[in-house]
Amino acid sequence: MWGRVVEIMTAVWLGASPFIFGVQSDVTILWGDFSIALSIAALAGLSYWRPTRHAHLLTLLVAVGLVLWGRFANTPAPPAHQNHIVIGLFLMMIAIIPNDASMPPRVWQVPPPK
Amino acid sequence: MSRNRIAAQELDRAVPPYHHNPSAWSQRVPICLLAFVAALISSHLSLYQWGFIENAWDPVFAGGSNRVLKSDTAKSMYGLLGIHDAALGVLAYLGDAILGFAGSTRRWQYRPWLVILFGVDVIPLGIVSVVLVLCQAFIVGDWCFLCLVTAAISLVLVYWAWDEVRVSLAYLKIVWTQHRSVRLMWDAFWGIRCEELDRAGEQLLSREVS
Repeated sequence: MWGRVVEIMTAVWLGASPFIFGVQSDVTILWGDFSIALSIAALAGLSYWRPTRHAHLLTLLVAVGLVLWGRFANTPAPPAHQNHIVIGLFLMMIAIIPNDASMPPRVWQVPPPK
Repeated sequence: MSRNRIAAQELDRAVPPYHHNPSAWSQRVPICLLAFVAALISSHLSLYQWGFIENAWDPVFAGGSNRVLKSDTAKSMYGLLGIHDAALGVLAYLGDAILGFAGSTRRWQYRPWLVILFGVDVIPLGIVSVVLVLCQAFIVGDWCFLCLVTAAISLVLVYWAWDEVRVSLAYLKIVWTQHRSVRLMWDAFWGIRCEELDRAGEQLLSREVS
């Protein structure tokens, strides 16, 4: 589940980003980052529960949204929005990593029939 | 471990035409480590482009690196991407490391999509690195030492990653030539198991090594 752990760590960074980049006075960025961070962490958390084990794939949509927001909100993108682009692209790579990625998929964990 | 679980030696079998398993940890960990080194180097270049450090380290071309990283070409890429090209390099190398690290020692058969995606990340990155080196030579007219180092690393990564991508493609080719079924190819690509795919994997493993 290391992919999900990295997603949660990234969500923590995103939640702290408005203060790191000094834009906490911008309500849109502040609450945007908070809510997106919360949804990333929630989707990663849901992936630990078997019925919702594919929830991390929805992070891909969040990641695409982050990239578009960062790229097109202001031109040229200020640091806070560059952060969105970088996090979005990073999450696109992490979100596709399966749970228990170092193990074979469940269906392949039994020997083939003789 | 359950007696029904597939044995570790079954996962880590040599795949013809190679005498080794291209998905083995011994093959993939060096790729991940080298990609991580390249990501660190690119981070240093990004810090310069962001203005956090005054100079990029360059023991060979003196101020050449600074001129390349702040050139009009780099600025136009920044305008296009929204982030500096070195930052994009960091992400691409991290992608190599992440996609190289995920998957079991038989992912060439169990998760071909992951191996193909890994190849799609590594091989174009090598091509882009060569293009950027050519840009340095013919457009900017200056050289950047660490950019050349990362370009060289990219080409090594392509060379190291190729064997795994090749066996995954060979496995998919066996599935296609034997069955000519789009549905089965889809299942093979996403690692959805069935008897035909078990046999295709065994057929590849039983090929003679020249």
